[in-house]
Formats: sequence, C-alpha cells, structure tokens
Amino acid sequence: MNMKRQRLTYFLSLIFPLWLGGTGGVLLHAQGNTQEPPQPQKYVAVIEETPQLTFFQGFTLSADAFGFAQYLFSDYGSLEGALRLNLKNTYFPIVELGYATCDSEDANTQIRYKTSAPYLRVGVDFNMLKNKFQENRLYLGVRYGLSRYNFDISGPPIVDPIWGGSEAFSYKDIATTSHWFEIVAGVQVKVWRNFHMGWSVRYKHKISSTKNQYAQPYYIPGYGTTTHTTGWGATYNLIFDLNWGKRKKKATQVTIIERPIVAPTDSTVVMPDTIESPIDSIQ
Amino acid sequence: MYLVLCTMYFVLRTLTSCSSSNCPLESTVTCNYGFYDTNGTAVAYNDTMTVSTLLAGSKTQYTYQLFGHRTITSDVRIDSLLEQGYTETISEVRRDTILGNKLAGLAKMKLPMGYFSTCDTIIIRYASISNRDTLYIQHVGYSNVDLPECGTHRFHTLTGIRATDAGIDHVEIVNPAVNYTGSENIRIYFNGTVEVEE
Repeated sequence: MNMKRQRLTYFLSLIFPLWLGGTGGVLLHAQGNTQEPPQPQKYVAVIEETPQLTFFQGFTLSADAFGFAQYLFSDYGSLEGALRLNLKNTYFPIVELGYATCDSEDANTQIRYKTSAPYLRVGVDFNMLKNKFQENRLYLGVRYGLSRYNFDISGPPIVDPIWGGSEAFSYKDIATTSHWFEIVAGVQVKVWRNFHMGWSVRYKHKISSTKNQYAQPYYIPGYGTTTHTTGWGATYNLIFDLNWGKRKKKATQVTIIERPIVAPTDSTVVMPDTIESPIDSIQ
Repeated sequence: MYLVLCTMYFVLRTLTSCSSSNCPLESTVTCNYGFYDTNGTAVAYNDTMTVSTLLAGSKTQYTYQLFGHRTITSDVRIDSLLEQGYTETISEVRRDTILGNKLAGLAKMKLPMGYFSTCDTIIIRYASISNRDTLYIQHVGYSNVDLPECGTHRFHTLTGIRATDAGIDHVEIVNPAVNYTGSENIRIYFNGTVEVEE
C-alpha cells in the first residue's frame, strides 16, 4: 500500500510541470520521501515550435463569373479580373479592373439608358481565419472604386399639356465621373491544386458623381444601378494562385525526445533541457 | 456543384429582379408662390382671385355691351344677348386658360410653368379690385430624368420677374430652382399690412 502511494506521488510530480507547460528543466520529487524512489524506464516529451510565414506569399489572378452571368440574364453586366498580392497569408492588397456595359429601357416610361466603360477598384482584404496555413480563406476587405464614363439617355418626346408644344428627349455622351467605396466579405476555397473558387458580397456606398442637370447616371460601371445611394453587389470568383516569387515558409519543427531518466542522487530528478534527437520535421 | 449553381441562380435572381418604386411620391413640377403683406409678413389673402395665363396663338372673342349693364365677354357667340339689345364686338385676342378659379383665403399657390416658353404671363383678377395684375416670369426650362422608371420632368430656372401694381406691392424670386421639391420660389407682396397681435 505504501509503495503504491509513493509511485502515485512520483508520477504526479512528473505530470504536473508538463501539464503547466514546462517541457524540461527540473522536476521536484515528492518532498519527505527519501526512500528509494521508483525509477521510470523512459518518458516522451513533444516540443512544437510556432511556425512562421515569410512576408511575400505570391500572386493571385481571378475572374468574376457573376458579372458575366448578369450580362447574360439582365440588361447590364461586366467582365472583371483582379490581381491580388498575398502577404503572409493575411493581407491581400488587390486591384480589380473591369469593363461594364448597360443598355436598359424601362417598360413603362420607355426611357433608355446606355453606357459602356471600364472601371477600377483598389483595396485590401484581410484573412480572418486563425490558421493562416490552410488554403481556404474567410476575408473582410475594403475597396475604393472609380469610373469615368459617358452615357446616353433618351425617351419619348416631352409634350406640354397646358401651353402646348413638344420637344425630343435625347442626350448623348454625358460625361460623368463616379467614386464609391465598398465593404467586402467573402470566402475562398481550394478546389484543385492552384485553382480556387470563392464568392463575395459587397456593400457599396456612392461618394459622388458628376452633377448634370439633364440626367443622373442610372448605372455606374463597377458600382451597379443607382436607385439608392447605397447598394449591394456580389462576385463569384475563379481564382488561380500564381506562386511567382513565393518563398518557402519556414519549417514547422516537431521534436520527440526519448531517453531514460538519469537516476537521482538526492531527492530531485533532473530532466534533460536540450533537444538531442530531432526526429521529424515537416515542410 | 449543384448547390453552387442553385445559390448563384438565387442570388442572381434576387439582385436583378427586385422591383420597387424609387420615385418621389410628389413629382409634379410647380412654381410655388407665397403671399405676404407689404412688410413681409406671411398672410392668407382674403380676396377671391382667378388666375389665368396667356397661351400661344389667338382666338376670337365676343364682347357684349349695353349701357347700364356689365360688359360680358365670351369665346362663343351669344345670340340671346343680341336679342336683349346688347352690342356685339368681335376681336382677335391671345388665347388663355384658367389655372385657378375663384381662389379664396390662400396663403400660397402652386402654378405650372410653360415647358418651352421663356416668359410666362400670369394674370390675376380680383373680386374686389376692378383692375387686374399681370406677372411676367422669365425662366429657362430643361428636361430631367432622375431614374428611368420615374419618367421625365421639366424643371426650370427662374431668371427674372416683374408685376403690375393693382393689388401687388412688389414681387421677388427667393429660389430660382423650380422642381418637385415644393420649396417656395416666388414671393408676392400685396398692398397693405396686417396687424400682428402682440
């Protein structure tokens, strides 16, 4: 019975420092027991180093399928590509360049709006996942958008109901510049090798558009329709990771130590605090 | 893959097929007049007024006069007056139309503007004043579209105004932008003052 209690006390003296985070150093033997401590044959300790990513992790090229689908199924749409930098799998500065077109006629008023123009967005995404090593990403981001474009607007002749007379309603090449910003949330998952897919939703807020007394833009390339000052948009991205210039990330080191414990000369047991046999390492 | 396609279709339909009216509830473009006394105090004008405007072109007008009776004018011939001894005078006059008939107790009024004219002539006839007043309102009109679904509007920018002085002391433009926002554009200061209770 006494022997069992001694073994239990010694076992706990080994376990508690490990449980508290200690991986080496000095372990105190149970106080007050100087009689022949039991000798464990061996023990195993695992040491993991926190992996580090290099700053530059490569480029990403992507294309938006949602804007193209909009073009097929509605009066407006866009072709859009993006180039994104990967910094430590955490920060993703991005440039989005697209060309949007709109040719819309209202069924009730028969007013037609037409424009085609390029647009530009710049911004940055932040990977919100805790594990930065995995290929999937959940991100939040911001964008600043800019488009300079001309639009045409025309409709039925305007007739004065009291004084009489009529006048054609048609204005062409109204030059406009629009600015806006976006808040982006999205996901990206690895599909096959360097090919990823993902989507994003975007809250858009128009900052300004060139004032014109005849008409306001109904559709801003890159922003969308302007029925409200704010709007929502979406993208469905086909993404290709280009590892140009990407450096290998530092090794994640896992070391296992296997060694008999040195028999104590007094009441303490000395544990080795140096790594003696690296067994395995992973990329 | 099927789930992805269904999600894309749902989002696409949601974003492209939503329909709701984004047009202003009050979208009639009017020039808004406010009534004031000579000192600039807002008043409700008690006299009954009839407001008309001149139109392009001319029309035939028949005038009937009989000594001791009120002169009668009409756009059509009235044979019964001839039988009563009235003298008929036929003349060509500018076409006109009534914009407000027998208005009473108004503090403000809203009148349309000519879409393509550069000067509107507004005639005010009073019930208690024999003479009438004429307002000449110069303006520039232009077409405007806010959203295609809301249609076209004809906005105006007021450039000048003058008036006769039968019942009017003076007039002024307080906001040259005539649109559908309902803000006051012109102030008419009538002769006389009202006593303000202290």
